[in-house]
Amino acid sequence: MFSVILHVSFALFFSPLLLGVVAKTKAFFAGRWGPPLLQPWYDIVKLFRKGSVYSTTTTWVFKLTPVAVLATALLSCIFIPLGTLAPPVYFWGDALFFVYLYGLMRFFLIIGAWDTGSSFEGMGASREAAFSCLSEIILFMDLILLVMVSKSLVLCNMLNTSFFSSWASMGPVLILVVISFFLVLLVENARIPIDDPNTHLELTMVHEVMVLDHSGFDLGLILWGSAVKFFVLGSILISLFIPRHESFMAGMVFFMVGMALLALTVGVVESIMARLRLNSVPHLLTGGFVLALLGFIVILLKGM
Amino acid sequence: MIAFLASLIFLSAGILFLALIRNRPPWARVVFLTSLTAGCVLSFISAVYSLVTQASFAFDGHWAWPWGEFYVGLDTLSAVFLLAVTILCFLAGLYGVGYLKEGCGPEKDLSGHFCLYLVLLLSLVLVVTARNAVLFLLAWEAMSVSSYFLITHYDDKEDVRQAGLLYLVATHVGTFCLWVMFILLGTRAGSMNFDQMTAAQFPLALSGVIFVLAILGFGVKAGFLPLHIWLPHAHPAAPSHVSAVLSGVMIKMGIYGIIRVIMLVKHFPEWCPMLLLGIGIISGVGGVLYALGQHEIKKLLAYHSIENIGIITLGLGTGLWAQLHQYQAIAAIGYAGALLHVFNHAMFKGLLFLSAGSVIRQTHTGEIDSLGGVMKYLPWTGVLFLIGSLAICGLPLFNGFISEWLVYRSLFEGLFSFPLEAVMLIGFAIIALALIGGLALMCFTKAFGAVFLGQARSPHALNLQENPRLMIAPMTLLAAICTWIGIFPNTMAAFCLKAAASISPAGKNVPDIENILRPMAGITLSLGLLTGLCFCLVLLRKMALRSLPVTRSETWGCGYRGSTPRMQYTASSFASPIVLLFREALCLRRSGSRPKQIFPERVHLASEVMDASEHFFWQRVYVWIREICSRLKIIQCGYAQMYVLYIFIFLFLILIWKVT
Amino acid sequence: MWLDISLVSIIFIGLVLLGSSRIGTIIRLFAFQSLILSSIPLQVGWTDLTWHVAAIVLGTLMVKVFVMPNFLFWAIRHVRMRREMPAILGYGKTMLLGGVLVGVAFYISSKLALPNPYFSHLFVPAAFSIFAIGLLLLVSRVKAITQVIGYLVMENGIFLFSMLLLDKTPFLVEMGILLDIFVAVLVMGLVINHMTEDYEDTNTFNLATLRD
Repeated sequence: MFSVILHVSFALFFSPLLLGVVAKTKAFFAGRWGPPLLQPWYDIVKLFRKGSVYSTTTTWVFKLTPVAVLATALLSCIFIPLGTLAPPVYFWGDALFFVYLYGLMRFFLIIGAWDTGSSFEGMGASREAAFSCLSEIILFMDLILLVMVSKSLVLCNMLNTSFFSSWASMGPVLILVVISFFLVLLVENARIPIDDPNTHLELTMVHEVMVLDHSGFDLGLILWGSAVKFFVLGSILISLFIPRHESFMAGMVFFMVGMALLALTVGVVESIMARLRLNSVPHLLTGGFVLALLGFIVILLKGM
Repeated sequence: MIAFLASLIFLSAGILFLALIRNRPPWARVVFLTSLTAGCVLSFISAVYSLVTQASFAFDGHWAWPWGEFYVGLDTLSAVFLLAVTILCFLAGLYGVGYLKEGCGPEKDLSGHFCLYLVLLLSLVLVVTARNAVLFLLAWEAMSVSSYFLITHYDDKEDVRQAGLLYLVATHVGTFCLWVMFILLGTRAGSMNFDQMTAAQFPLALSGVIFVLAILGFGVKAGFLPLHIWLPHAHPAAPSHVSAVLSGVMIKMGIYGIIRVIMLVKHFPEWCPMLLLGIGIISGVGGVLYALGQHEIKKLLAYHSIENIGIITLGLGTGLWAQLHQYQAIAAIGYAGALLHVFNHAMFKGLLFLSAGSVIRQTHTGEIDSLGGVMKYLPWTGVLFLIGSLAICGLPLFNGFISEWLVYRSLFEGLFSFPLEAVMLIGFAIIALALIGGLALMCFTKAFGAVFLGQARSPHALNLQENPRLMIAPMTLLAAICTWIGIFPNTMAAFCLKAAASISPAGKNVPDIENILRPMAGITLSLGLLTGLCFCLVLLRKMALRSLPVTRSETWGCGYRGSTPRMQYTASSFASPIVLLFREALCLRRSGSRPKQIFPERVHLASEVMDASEHFFWQRVYVWIREICSRLKIIQCGYAQMYVLYIFIFLFLILIWKVT
Repeated sequence: MWLDISLVSIIFIGLVLLGSSRIGTIIRLFAFQSLILSSIPLQVGWTDLTWHVAAIVLGTLMVKVFVMPNFLFWAIRHVRMRREMPAILGYGKTMLLGGVLVGVAFYISSKLALPNPYFSHLFVPAAFSIFAIGLLLLVSRVKAITQVIGYLVMENGIFLFSMLLLDKTPFLVEMGILLDIFVAVLVMGLVINHMTEDYEDTNTFNLATLRD
């Protein structure tokens, strides 16, 4: 129980920082100093002290949504290693549980958007559902590849440090995995080539518009949940790179530096790329799928 | 066994009574409920007993059927199906009594309807327990005919009659294949009893032919994708509780038949499991894509049945492959996933059809885009539909996840041990299953969101009231079963694993059920943590909101004023990104015009998803058959003399055949 | 391992090519693919670096990475176009089809019985895949200039094949091939030029009007 609490609070504490790094990088590229690293934290705390406005159209579903979002995001972090912290819960097939947990989160976000009866939120929900359908198959293809490399469907076995040694033999495949997983990370967290996290104009109405009607405490929960989701998916990606190490601190340092680098990369991608037109997002996702498929073909040829 | 036979007697007695009394609805109701309860409870007890003790029973009444006898038996496989049949039929029956009470359509002959419902139940029970091919086929036929009459309950509507006719034709084409298949099996084994068939050895070529016939015959009933055309027409036509039984258990009889044939024949050519996997992928993805394009709630649910049959078939295909290559453990997991999904699908699809029915009963429409905001008027129905939707999407906390997890597990284990060609197909099966999950989620957020949430899109959805308790209670029970299996899956999964282990012939390596079930504890633990987290967060939120100002206002329209409920996002717009992406496969037809000029005139836009196999394949086949038949009309000339002449010709032909 | 990574990234670039619509991007991607390709003789024959290998590397580098992309850039500047028409099948489906073709190529080459042990498992399948991707690019695109690139990508596949016979092929033959494609591209460039003059567009569907 203690390790669960430790894991959850680790994710809760560090996840807003990650967003801070992304914002700082973007500001740097724009030639500004940017908000302080702790700004996402200040935002959440501020929202927790604000009152809420509820639409007369909404029912309890709308109020359940923020709770469900944060709870599923937090639960998802207990299956993956965070640096040297081993996951407190693991079982055969927890990778599937992990993916479907995000399905649960998305289900509640979408019906929360439906509940407001607003056409804008419906639009965002529709796009989010369609894009995540496609990103989910990339995620599963990556999962298949990782399973074939590590011969296990337990997330902590797939992501532990002995995995690093398979880079020597499976390098090409793992590069493909990393690229397509990075794409999934961008889609799932509504980052720039797919969606702009800063606006909810009609043209970019994907993820952000779905939470348009949430306010105050509820919005805080949702923002925190999204941050945790980013953190968790990012730490999966980083875990693939952590080399074998001896001490507790070394692992932690590797992990932290890796996460910071990841946030930096996301910030750079956001700064140098333009958001894609909506109808070319499926093309991008198809491309990601084909990459993962290429990895599958290569791994079949090389033998497992 | 005695309990089981007694249940058969109770059901038959109920049918007899109901056939005798007419025009006395109160009496009909009492007789129906008594016989339904007694029959279902007794069968349920015998099924559970058989699953717990793992004993099989048989009863051989030497009746003088042509080639056959009244031979019924109950093994673990039958028991799993019997469990689903009894639970769903009992609850749907209770619901049906409430559903047909008053004010829903024109007055109908209730005792006739109840009588046919019991006939359907009895024939379902006999289909899963028959140990003789002729008895099996008789029960199969009784099931088809009684369900035809149940589908055409509202026979004053033209499309209902059409749907019923289509169903009747389709199912008889299937039954024809089954007759041929069982005759092949029977002549080879020398008996129409399943016991002798199990003992017999079949050459590989013959078993291939039998397999294809089984896929065709049982596939029509199960709704494999190119053979499914009756399904989306029949389900919306029937009253909701009948649709629940049709979709929940009747189409599963096709799955039962295929598993039974696998048990009888045992050895198949290499391509058979590949065919099953292929069918699974096509039915699964195709079913959910078509479902996404539907605007009528029961039609949407009907297409989802095809999707779930696809998932079940994926499990069966992996199981069969593993069985042929002596991987007993993987075979057991694959079959168990399929069986558990059969049971789970019966529960959540039953729940969904029943709750859709209770919406339709109040609003008199099933068109998703003219509903909306029903949650405020039918709160219980809304919660129950939500639970059903979460379960059918295979999300954790509910039962759909458990069976999909088992199917996934068999697929992933197959990834390590199967040969190259199989691994490729299995990779695609995993991707297909993932895609099905995502699309189902989109489909059910659409159905739930558009029907229950937001505001009413048309005025007739107002002043509704919640349905009677007799309808709510059965649905609540179904939802409870879904949740129970979702959180504590061990009992049901163990039952299914035992039944699955009995399908493949016992090899050297017996599957270790304890080992397979071990991760279930992890699932339970995680779900416990999830509930705990939710509970904490809800408490925190309650405490925080107590001291903060909370106001209510209308939905923020991003600056737009004067929006009306009709301006809400519709279900068809919601589905359009995916529908457009797959427009070639879905044969999307759009008609209407885009607004032109600065002040556009009235414009309209309609989109429709056409069933490709129905429009491009079956309709052509139908036209072709009709042409042949119209040529054959010459025989029917109308002169009695000619007909007598035909009889003579046939008599002589038979005589000549016998003499030579 | 580095050889594997290069081969996979060559296929990877090929797949990206199938999905890109901007002609500038397509040319740059092709140049990048050729750059990786030209490094492969080095990776294969690093241990005994002959003049032969060095000449091939330098020749490919010159022709495919510098001369031809520049020539193509000149051509598109000349005809003032930047964007391809939508691919005949649509970009997403072309890419998926490309993935399937790569799968087929791998399957075929896993069944081929190749006599000598070559340098990497991926060599033959990669050559096949690039060839198939080039063919697909040639078939699925409308503008003449992307078809030229399709042709060049196909040639890259053949180049990869010839690498298997690195020490057996006479130097003259390889230079001859390089010269061949150079001339072919030149001719295509002239055709594009004339097409723009006659039809004010480089859509190859216009050529259909030339039939009887």
